[in-house]
Amino acid sequence: MASLLDLQVAFAAALLDPSRQRVPVGLSTGGRPAAEGFGLYRNSVFGNYRKALRAVYPVVEALVGERFFAHAADAYVGVHPSRCGDLNRFGSLFADFLRDFPDAAGLAYLPDTARLEWAIETVFHAEDPAPAALVALSRVSEDDYPGLHFRLAPHCRLIESPWPVDRLWHLNQPGVPWDDDFDIDAGGVLILVRRCGFEVELRRLGAAEGVLLASLVAGLTLGAACERVLERDPQAAIAAMLRGLLSAASLQLAAPAQGLPDGQH
Amino acid sequence: MNARIPCADRTGAPIGAGIGLRTCHFREILRQRPAIGWVEVHSENYFCDGGQPLHLLDKVRECYPVSLHGVGLSLGSAEPLDREHLARLRRLVGRIEPGLVSEHLSWSMAGGRHLNELLPLPCTDEALAVVAGHLDQVQDILGRQILVENISSYVGFQQSSMTEPAFLSELVARTGCGLLLDVNNVYVSAHNLDFDAREYLAAIPAEAVAEIHLAGHANLGRMLVDTHGAAVAPAVWALYAETIARLGPRPSLIEWDNDIPPLAVLLAEAAHAAVVMEGADGIAA
Repeated sequence: MASLLDLQVAFAAALLDPSRQRVPVGLSTGGRPAAEGFGLYRNSVFGNYRKALRAVYPVVEALVGERFFAHAADAYVGVHPSRCGDLNRFGSLFADFLRDFPDAAGLAYLPDTARLEWAIETVFHAEDPAPAALVALSRVSEDDYPGLHFRLAPHCRLIESPWPVDRLWHLNQPGVPWDDDFDIDAGGVLILVRRCGFEVELRRLGAAEGVLLASLVAGLTLGAACERVLERDPQAAIAAMLRGLLSAASLQLAAPAQGLPDGQH
Repeated sequence: MNARIPCADRTGAPIGAGIGLRTCHFREILRQRPAIGWVEVHSENYFCDGGQPLHLLDKVRECYPVSLHGVGLSLGSAEPLDREHLARLRRLVGRIEPGLVSEHLSWSMAGGRHLNELLPLPCTDEALAVVAGHLDQVQDILGRQILVENISSYVGFQQSSMTEPAFLSELVARTGCGLLLDVNNVYVSAHNLDFDAREYLAAIPAEAVAEIHLAGHANLGRMLVDTHGAAVAPAVWALYAETIARLGPRPSLIEWDNDIPPLAVLLAEAAHAAVVMEGADGIAA
């Protein structure tokens, strides 16, 4: 008699087999063909996967159509099997998959569109915004500002793309009419995906603000990030930009103890 | 009709008839506050760290007893339970303080791959030991009893050495778990695997049943499929009435997950369950 582990491994392998024809041995089915009952599980499993991806990637589906999306979803399962009992996390690698998926090679902007949709999904369910970091900053001596490190808050994501995927996303929202002037080759964007209350907003960052935020998120100190911004735009209003990001709680002080004078930890 | 449903009791223990609460109905429930006994949600949908869904569940919890129903823990896997999954469940249980917590008698993970489906177990001594061990672990980590639900089956296993009711009875005896008896699943499995649903129900240990599920299924001709996409079938209502006559009233839930109808339809189904329970109360008196 097969052990439970062997039985389950064989059952799972038959379910996910690309031929869609395999049926494990040892089933009992009340007189009906085993393939019939087993086929119901197979359909359900692949149906669940597709449904999970469809829920997170409606714009990708709108761009490629229902049939191609289902084809991509089924292929995704083979490359990145589900590793979690929570189906809501199944789609986390879909953008990477699309980047390497030969059948979608003609749609270069598709992976970044998927990355944006996953960021929106992640931000929607992320930890609620903490009180603005300005409070923590008020306890730091201004002399120590250049050495401070910041990190992006959990309810924020930065998405960089050579294509205007934020605009593409917007134009594919229900009820939004297509814009004939939209140009996918209009140039790259840096998008701050952020939750305001319970709503997710996409904000395209200006050049100087983009450099500031990207530098800080990359781990540079505030001083080093400011130098980069000024190289880009000597007139940049850095203080106002930083205040805006901090008061919206998009940035948090990383390891605040490093920036605090002795005795104020 | 809705007035027949016992009003919400905020102490946390589901009483009477309830509904499976899905995203599309949250706002309506909070606005209308219909007189349902309780609501149930899928645990995994609230494993997140924050955001609107969790916030709305907190609001619902202020008005109704809540039951947390897991679909992804894979109690029946031969491999160890996912500790992160368990940790998230514990965090959610701590936040919501649910009246009931349930999982399925099934498996969904093998070789590190998740099928994310409620797959059937062979009823063997080995499977019994695996599920009992996992139940001990879960009940220990959560610090409370959990209920185990019978699933709809489309295949069985030649190596099974006992019936599912015998398996469930032994599970109750070994672990002290409760049972979530899904009457529709019994009906569907009995049809598909050719056993007698009434014999099955008669063999379930009555005192262990702490919750009942009702849902609709689809008839594919030779096989029935547990779609949760239709009203409860008349034959299932009949089995439910017989079950309530035997067990007495138990918290009973209407589940509907596909082609979800207006809230009023769910409330009418719940009201039907409440009427059946009131009838049984009358007989008992």
